[in-house]
Amino acid sequence: MTSHLGVMVLFAALVATVFGTLLRDDAPGQVRLGTRIFLGLVVGAWVLGWVMYLAFA
Amino acid sequence: MTRPSGGSARPAGTANATVSTSGPQVTAIAAWLVPGAGHFLQGQPRKALVFAASLLLMFVLGLAFGGRLFPFQLTEPLVFLAALAEWALLLPRLVAAMAGWGRGDVVAITYEYGNAFLIAGGLMNVLVLLDAVDLAAGRKPR
Repeated sequence: MTSHLGVMVLFAALVATVFGTLLRDDAPGQVRLGTRIFLGLVVGAWVLGWVMYLAFA
Repeated sequence: MTRPSGGSARPAGTANATVSTSGPQVTAIAAWLVPGAGHFLQGQPRKALVFAASLLLMFVLGLAFGGRLFPFQLTEPLVFLAALAEWALLLPRLVAAMAGWGRGDVVAITYEYGNAFLIAGGLMNVLVLLDAVDLAAGRKPR
């Protein structure tokens, strides 16, 4: 896999899984936190990418 | 889920009579050796499985992406810190070193991603280890 987005999404999924499991004890809470972390990482990187593109284009 | 306890079991008949009570030192060494082993010893096999699968997958993907297993090199502080993080996954790091993997393909497009996977995986295992030790020491409710 050489897609930057694909590798970043994979990284975000694994990090979100570990932190969601680590920081919550109930399964629904783990899924909720994991989803928030995953979306935060992916959306944050996407927004940052656009900001850098527009700022330096 | 619980498993039979070792020598320091609570009195029979109590609700926690079958909860593992491995000490903090044993838990720390197990968690350092294999990700998730500390939580397994503390009677949390589901969490143990998730940690083992996620962190080992990160390590394998890091190597597959061309990441480098960094040496302890004091003249290069960042290399030293990266090595420290990678050694937080002891058994996978040892196996990879003995197999000759992780030489680092610096021209690969995924080289930096590989390093990120290897380093982040090790650092997260430190957090997992500390959580397991807190459970073993009774500082965190089960």
